[in-house]
Amino acid sequence: MNELRMHAHGGENGLRLEATACFDNGIVLITGDNGAGKTTLLRALAGLHPARGLIRVGTETWLDTDRGVCMPPERRRVGFVWAETVLLPWLDVAANIRLGAERESTAWLGEVCMAFEVDELLTRVPASLSRGEAQRVMLARAFYRRPALLLLDEPLSAQAPAVRARLRAVLAAMRERLGVPLILVSHDPDDASIADWRWHMRNGRLIHESADGAALGKTTCGETAWKQG
Amino acid sequence: MMAAMWISLKLAAVTTVLLLMVGVPLAWLLARRRFRGRAMLEVMIALPLVLPPTVLGYYVLLLTAPAGLLGRAWQALFDASLAFSFSGMVVASLLYSLPFAVQPMLQAYRALPGPWLELGRMQGLQGATLLRRVVLPASRQGMLVAAGLVFAHTMGEFGAILMVGGSIPGETRVASIALFEFVEMGNDRDAAMLALMLLGVSVLVLSLVYRRSPAMMADVRP
Repeated sequence: MNELRMHAHGGENGLRLEATACFDNGIVLITGDNGAGKTTLLRALAGLHPARGLIRVGTETWLDTDRGVCMPPERRRVGFVWAETVLLPWLDVAANIRLGAERESTAWLGEVCMAFEVDELLTRVPASLSRGEAQRVMLARAFYRRPALLLLDEPLSAQAPAVRARLRAVLAAMRERLGVPLILVSHDPDDASIADWRWHMRNGRLIHESADGAALGKTTCGETAWKQG
Repeated sequence: MMAAMWISLKLAAVTTVLLLMVGVPLAWLLARRRFRGRAMLEVMIALPLVLPPTVLGYYVLLLTAPAGLLGRAWQALFDASLAFSFSGMVVASLLYSLPFAVQPMLQAYRALPGPWLELGRMQGLQGATLLRRVVLPASRQGMLVAAGLVFAHTMGEFGAILMVGGSIPGETRVASIALFEFVEMGNDRDAAMLALMLLGVSVLVLSLVYRRSPAMMADVRP
């Protein structure tokens, strides 16, 4: 069980972020308007944005303000995919994917790269990649390091429709293999098909939503968050 | 004449290597950390830009003289005088060229894209590893500019070095000082040769730096 009870001050727009949720290892889809705090929530989970409260992932406590616990990003083991391209330009694709996770096996590297369709790109440099290719490289990087939590910010936005459908299934299958929670920010209604839970962000507030879109309101842990299917 | 040129090149090389090592952590500290005395530290680093070189040289001479703090320690350690030696000139050069190392690096570190550092940290890199694997490769151009400027600047050093080195032929007489002495003695041929060589080195170093990073040079004017 993963648990989230935190609040933070948003970036430029002075938003107050509030999120309370419990979720098992599965896929959480977050929707919401621009500026509703989706990205800030991901950044707070990764430890990049200061937050107060409680974050528990698996058996680890990443944040517990009451007990003075705040794990830095380098120890949280998240697999993060930015909405924009973030690759180190002086490293080739293979080195970008393996950055900081050099001890993982080459067999696993082959598997991840095959799954995200970047196996042909390994010796290329980031500057030569299309936006869609760069996005797939970031996905491969996020999964390759066997993270404890996957945080993906519109990870399929630059893919062609056919590829997108394929990668959506890959996301679900690879997450299953790692057995960790995955939080997916997306504006694509089709992404709901792989989601186990749906959260909606409005003005910095996390709202748990039912299948037909009616808000259930803020739930606290202990109450059941709506589970699809 | 060649001896003087050789000493200048050696001094410039040693100063460049040492200043890169000192400059990286110093610039990183200034770029990323807030701490008490930060503004004062920045002033101290920039001071050699405006201080008359002879003033800098005077204080370094006091420091490196046998009775000085550094001079006494050096004497105890190596049983040699620091003032009027090559090592003494290195001390003066380090201070004299410090801003030329720190400023370009500071610019490079401040211009580092934030997500690259965040990425490095989330991939589990921290401290020296983060510096080595993300920060340094990302600021290669700033390092190159720093190295070029320090090298060229040290080659042209005069006042500070004359105070500390004393222009001992074959030991502390560098090219820029030798040039002055040739002119004073009316040795026009050697003066012309040496001036030409110094000009050549400066043009060579700057063109190397410019070719690798034209954009960087435009906004680095220490």
